[in-house]
Amino acid sequence: MTTVTIQEARARVTVGSFSQMPDAAAAAPPSGEAAEVALEFLTEMSPDLRGAAILGSGGEVLAGTGEEPERWGEDAAALFAVADEAEGVPVEQVHIATEQGEVFAVRNAGLAAVTVTDRFALASLMLFDMRSTLRQLASPNFGPPGGTKSRKGEG
Amino acid sequence: MPPKPHRVLLERVSVYADEAAAFMRRRRVARRPFARLYYPHGRSADHAQDSRSGAELFVAAGRLIEVAGKKQKG
Repeated sequence: MTTVTIQEARARVTVGSFSQMPDAAAAAPPSGEAAEVALEFLTEMSPDLRGAAILGSGGEVLAGTGEEPERWGEDAAALFAVADEAEGVPVEQVHIATEQGEVFAVRNAGLAAVTVTDRFALASLMLFDMRSTLRQLASPNFGPPGGTKSRKGEG
Repeated sequence: MPPKPHRVLLERVSVYADEAAAFMRRRRVARRPFARLYYPHGRSADHAQDSRSGAELFVAAGRLIEVAGKKQKG
């Protein structure tokens, strides 16, 4: 029954969930190539990361890891739809910790990022990295923030 | 005879390391699954796994975990 509910929610609000982004007025949508660079940077920054995707304002997948990157789009839309329906207010960030891993989703600057990490990933760092990646990606002079320094091996 | 200064330092560092390890161990044992939503102006809300919205969030998260697959080695 829950699956049916989610599929209904997905069909109803897939487009709506992305148009409700707090600052959906990004100047120009970033290219897929720029999104790939941003995703690569995010992956390098986060040693706990298993997979991630960056989505455009319409919910389209700009960049995604794995063999089926397009699947990120519909599943992220479903997550945002359910999260927005929980209190009837568009969410900014989502953090769900399960036994199998952790899911983070962030909306920022008219874009969205979704990541899946191992258990016990540092949530504040993960969310900060995702937000700053999206902010950088949305800016007209996009370049990976702070060079290519990695958190791997720290603390 | 007082202990050598470097031994005092080493002892102190290993005490801190033990404390940190114990904290992480307790965190692993005690931590339960949760779903937390963050709204504008810093507000956040937890949704219990047995609530309707919580259950839906966990199902949606499970699909994303499935999409991400296993972590690539190296």
